[in-house]
Amino acid sequence: MNDPHDPLDPPIRIAAVGDVHMDQDVLGRFRPALAQLPEQADVLLLAGDLTRHGTEAEARCVAEEFGDVGVPVVAVLGNHDYQCDQVDKVVDVLANEGGITVLEGDSTVVDTPACRLGIAGAKGFGGGFAGRCASEFGEPEMKAFIRTTSTVADRLGVALRDLDCDVRIALTHYAPVADTLAGEPLEIYPFLGSYLLGQAIDSAPTALAVHGHAHRGTERGATPGGVRVRNVAHPVIRQAYSVYRLG
Amino acid sequence: MIDEYAEAAVQRLLTEHAGLAEQGITVILRERTMVLYGEVESTARRDEIVRLVEENFPDIPLHVDIGITRATPPSEAEDLL
Ligand SMILES: [Fe+2]
Ligand SMILES: [Fe+2]
Repeated sequence: MNDPHDPLDPPIRIAAVGDVHMDQDVLGRFRPALAQLPEQADVLLLAGDLTRHGTEAEARCVAEEFGDVGVPVVAVLGNHDYQCDQVDKVVDVLANEGGITVLEGDSTVVDTPACRLGIAGAKGFGGGFAGRCASEFGEPEMKAFIRTTSTVADRLGVALRDLDCDVRIALTHYAPVADTLAGEPLEIYPFLGSYLLGQAIDSAPTALAVHGHAHRGTERGATPGGVRVRNVAHPVIRQAYSVYRLG
Repeated sequence: MIDEYAEAAVQRLLTEHAGLAEQGITVILRERTMVLYGEVESTARRDEIVRLVEENFPDIPLHVDIGITRATPPSEAEDLL
């Protein structure tokens, strides 16, 4: 880390939630809690599955709910946001109507009172975890599945390593470790994340990794390299957002 | 007939039906009853799950224990200092 965060500076406060699955029926549910956000956090991270089906109308609900919250909002998309094949429109609405920065294999730097906070993000994909994972071998469909994950993980790693900032955060939808999946059926772990994302996170001095997707998982875990991982899927944290303070 | 195929079919209905798109619901068989539990974002979504599962699987006794995820502000932050 160049120019590390001075321990005497105020802590960096990161709010995060994933899997809000917005649509007309839940519009306004998060707003009362979000009114307190500027007092509690310097930035809000949205860890994918922002909508139910990835329609433009649902994206508009996200923009309305999570736009103008008083702090910068940075998001990645989730698998639900791809369902209707309108990713470009969804991103456009989030960015232009909600002022939300949407990351996919790239990064952004947010100036907080404490430091320059760098966030690298990507949706990620599945494949499983060390010793129990799929390989890029055999049928073209199988190879394409794992190649998708390794490509996105490579891009996440590059984005993290190239960040010019004081403190780095990784934001994904799919899980980078198995720890935070505890509670999910073991049989579906390969559809919930990949160790390749964890390896990308460990390739840079990452301070925190935030993900969603595993609704029945667990909030806390760590990568093999010791980076703290938090599953912020809404049904996991059971509150409008969680706040993490980094010193 | 309630069996593993019905369990699979309900799981897929929950995810793939355009009006549901729920992936976080657990479907289990308990004795002769199908139990659905988990959390969704609104009562309307829970009602729609019940309606569509009952409509598509009228012969399966259903027990639904689905909650609505709270959206209150956090009472405290976690220090990762
Ligand atoms: Fe989700
Ligand atoms: Fe997801």
